[in-house]
Amino acid sequence: MSLTPADTPQPTAISVRRKIPLSLIVGGLIVGLHLLAGILTILWTPYEPTAMVGGRLAEPSIAHWAGTDRLGRDLFTQILIGARIALEVGSGAVLVGAGIGITLGTLAAFATRTLDDVFAAAFDILIAFPTLLVAMLIVTASQTASLFTAVLAIGIAGSAIIARLTRILVKRVLSMDYIVAARVAGSSWPSIVFVHVLPNIWPTLIVNLALQFGLAAMAESSLSYLGLGAPPPNASWGRLLQEAQGTVYTAPFGAIAPGLALVTLVIGMNLLADGLRAFADPTRRRSR
Amino acid sequence: MRRSAILLVSVVLASAVLFVLLRLLPGDPANALVSVGADATQIEAARRQVGSDLPLFQQFLRFLTDIAKLDFGVSFVSGASVLREIGDRLVVTLPLTLSAFISSIIVAVPVGILAAVRQRTWYGAGISVISQLGIAVPAFWIGILLVTLFAVNLQLVPSGGFPTDGWSAPIDSIEALILPVATITLVMSASLIRYVRSATEEVMSSDYIRTARALGATLTGALVRHGIRNGAVPVISILCIELASTLLGAVVIERVFALPGLGSMLLLGIEQRDYPNVQGVLVVSTMLVLIAGFAADVIQRLVDPRLRGRVSGGAS
Amino acid sequence: MLRSFSIPTSLACCIKLGIVGFFASTTAFAPSLHAADFDANASINIGSLYEPQNLDNTAGAGQGINEAFNGNVYEALFRLSDSGAVEPVLAKDYKVSEDGLAYIFTLQPGVKFHSGEPLTAKDVKHSIERVTGPDSKSSRKNSLKGIASIETPDDATVVIKLSARSISLPYNLSYVWIVNDSGKDLKSAENGTGPYKLGDWRRGSSLSLARFEGYWGTKPTNSGVTFRYFTDATALNNALLTGSVDIITSVQSPDSLKQFQTNKSFTVAEGQSTTKLLLAYNDRVAPFDNVKVRKALARAIDKKKLLNAVWGDRGLVIGSFVPPTDPWYVDLTKVDDYNVESAKALLAEAGLKDGFTFTIDTPNYDPHPLVAQFLQTEYAKIGVKVNINIITANEWYSKVYKAHDFQATLQEHVNHRDIVFYSNPDFYWGYNNSKAIDLVKSSEASMTTDEQTGRLKEANTQIAEDAASNWLYLYPQIVVSKASVTGYPVNGLNSQFFTSAIQKGGK
Repeated sequence: MSLTPADTPQPTAISVRRKIPLSLIVGGLIVGLHLLAGILTILWTPYEPTAMVGGRLAEPSIAHWAGTDRLGRDLFTQILIGARIALEVGSGAVLVGAGIGITLGTLAAFATRTLDDVFAAAFDILIAFPTLLVAMLIVTASQTASLFTAVLAIGIAGSAIIARLTRILVKRVLSMDYIVAARVAGSSWPSIVFVHVLPNIWPTLIVNLALQFGLAAMAESSLSYLGLGAPPPNASWGRLLQEAQGTVYTAPFGAIAPGLALVTLVIGMNLLADGLRAFADPTRRRSR
Repeated sequence: MRRSAILLVSVVLASAVLFVLLRLLPGDPANALVSVGADATQIEAARRQVGSDLPLFQQFLRFLTDIAKLDFGVSFVSGASVLREIGDRLVVTLPLTLSAFISSIIVAVPVGILAAVRQRTWYGAGISVISQLGIAVPAFWIGILLVTLFAVNLQLVPSGGFPTDGWSAPIDSIEALILPVATITLVMSASLIRYVRSATEEVMSSDYIRTARALGATLTGALVRHGIRNGAVPVISILCIELASTLLGAVVIERVFALPGLGSMLLLGIEQRDYPNVQGVLVVSTMLVLIAGFAADVIQRLVDPRLRGRVSGGAS
Repeated sequence: MLRSFSIPTSLACCIKLGIVGFFASTTAFAPSLHAADFDANASINIGSLYEPQNLDNTAGAGQGINEAFNGNVYEALFRLSDSGAVEPVLAKDYKVSEDGLAYIFTLQPGVKFHSGEPLTAKDVKHSIERVTGPDSKSSRKNSLKGIASIETPDDATVVIKLSARSISLPYNLSYVWIVNDSGKDLKSAENGTGPYKLGDWRRGSSLSLARFEGYWGTKPTNSGVTFRYFTDATALNNALLTGSVDIITSVQSPDSLKQFQTNKSFTVAEGQSTTKLLLAYNDRVAPFDNVKVRKALARAIDKKKLLNAVWGDRGLVIGSFVPPTDPWYVDLTKVDDYNVESAKALLAEAGLKDGFTFTIDTPNYDPHPLVAQFLQTEYAKIGVKVNINIITANEWYSKVYKAHDFQATLQEHVNHRDIVFYSNPDFYWGYNNSKAIDLVKSSEASMTTDEQTGRLKEANTQIAEDAASNWLYLYPQIVVSKASVTGYPVNGLNSQFFTSAIQKGGK
């Protein structure tokens, strides 16, 4: 769940010299590290990801930094690939969620009052339904579970939150005097949306999307825990965690390493979001 | 109320959409009733029994008339009354959710306010870090950790399960819920702390607090007198959503602690395509969501007099 | 201890078998404590992963109901003992006509249902017809279709007339619960003759059985049992570690065993299961219609390594569908032993030198996804590319079992004596070899068990030679209990779990 507390869209200040918040730096570093690891796996991995190179559930060692799984595959390799998958899931889900959410939210804000109320109620209901369940239904409905359906499902499930936020933000902008003036002056809707509304709300939206990114990675791990996430041999962290479930007491390293990777990425994304917010909104510079 | 009416209409629409969506799922409710070795005629018999051999339109009519009569029917798979099973599971889910919810508030509100007021101190920063962790760590991890520590090693509380006879021995039932409640509280309060802190910060930077402080009030005094009312409104709507989503969203926790809750009933229902069960759970939980929303509305109005005049207060 | 019951061996005369109360009789039970050492009023908590879906085994209750109810709540005319022998229960004795087409059963006297009504021949007739009737979802319906009529000349006698000889009739009747004919809905209630009656069933959590005081046979050595159901194996293990369950009926991962083996307060018992994991091809479609391709795929898999990955050093590599507990077991592991070079050669002979691509429909629960990945890696070595398609159990029935819309699938088969599936060309895997079919069919008309066993061994060998499916391994059956709890069955035949002889040590 993440609804950012009502954020006031601030007109972007023009040339105030801003201090870059610490959280932005730390978050950026963490996410950057994950990004690097993800990109690296396209070119090179320590071992062939599916090769059974070690013993069954071997403890972490020089040869296998994070140990091996039941099939003797190198876990460190899998975790690196997991970074790429997490970034794919995160950005994919955020793209899907933002696409649907911003469109619907904007439409609702522009709609007649009754229609707007219906939209608002629909968003509320959707938000009240756990992201996980919505995603679960979508994954089950699509004939085959794949990374793509997981991304789609998490994106759609998260879109209600973005839609709700967008609606509120757009309505606030629309009530401002200069928009009223523009409407009176006869500006077309598209021009109002693209010239006035979107540029005004994006700082807040970006912050929220960054949060959604982390949540998407978490949702994927929960879906995988329930056996509905990215199918093998995708080495998503969620799936690694799920496979390590049965051995969590006897070979805890199998659950710890991918778990740490997931936790750091989510924290990194959250810090990044906090930093962005503080950066985009210099009037309230406190770190959040 | 207008908002409730709209919500109700949305629920009816949502259940129709759900009906279609469920039927689009690959698989067949009859499949849960056959096992390897069954032949084609037996599969047909199973389809007749659950009505999945009827045309979709007829199934839909059946569904509508049943819902209109508030008849939740019997489970395709177990043959047991859906309503009774929901009742059986609510006595686990409701206490679990409500106590987790209340303890989260008890933890999060003071800690969140403290974090906002003392944000430049080391413990303000500490709270931030811990709440970050609480949000980022998967719930089942926390659950497993707590079980290992308090159930397996210290043997203080049971590791999972719920008494067969429900609440007839309340002490046992409460013991069974301690760790699950603690797990949900940790996860839920971590995110609540952030909302409370944001809301408090918002209030602190507002004109009336500045004015109050300029007039000589202490920060704490000003916050107590003016801040809570204003800050509470957005937090309450967040709380309502958290409460609602925990009702069904506790499924992962239910699994870690082997609790027979509403979430796992829904999960199993979807797995087995047991439509009566799935629809029953969704209708009941939607009603609970409505009630929670209504309660949030009422409380918001009580807290913030400015909202009293408004006919339809979107939870913004 | 009683000797195990043997099936009539000659047609020359009618064989009469007198059976004494057998209930205390199983041979493979874990060692019992001395009689005085246990608490007859103890209640036993049994942890399991297999919750029944409903309570009626003719209405699709799933394997969980066998575990909870077979021999505990319901009894049959015969039963499959823990050691795999067919023993009479509610049939006191029986005669077979010379032509083998009529079976005359005399019922055990003094048997009462839990409702208090006495057992009569009419109940038996009703019970059998429930399984063979049009609404039955029982997977054993087909094996009883040779029954032409059931007569009840008096309350204690049942005569079953067959349309063709059926040497497995007593065995097949061990699946037929004897229920009272009062017509209660048995999906959520019961009315059997067993040593326990149903207490409470809390769906998603537990099912309790209470000792039935009017039981006709040997009284249980405990006051009742509660099956506690878990969906997560780790949670189940924790429940035993913390003492909230006394026994785990079937441990599903070798790794959790370490914590029990090193601790003196627990007993780990390994028995034999009938659960086989197989990669079933759709033998109807190319290239799986080619025996060379199937053999190549069998030889390309290092099954020992696979078994080790999933089960550590437990379980058993098998070379056919028949597990050692079936009377017609033959060790056929050498037929298509692991040999990558010969696998490649066979593929080349089949004209697939450059390999091919196929999809494995993989059930979404452990161990299937893991095994599918293993196969994927192994097959890559002979140039065969595998796509893994994860599906739910429900979809599996629609797509694979009913529509035969698949190339290959992973599936576990739990039943005892289920080689008959290979004699049905319409079965999902579509194996169709007239010699094997004839052998299985004619074995049923055998006059002696030796003859039956001989034919089925031959069929078994034929099916293995054809590599009809790829039989990967036999699951181990591992029961873990508190050291103070004894007397439970250790073999998982048909997932049964007789609880009547379970004893819990003194306080």
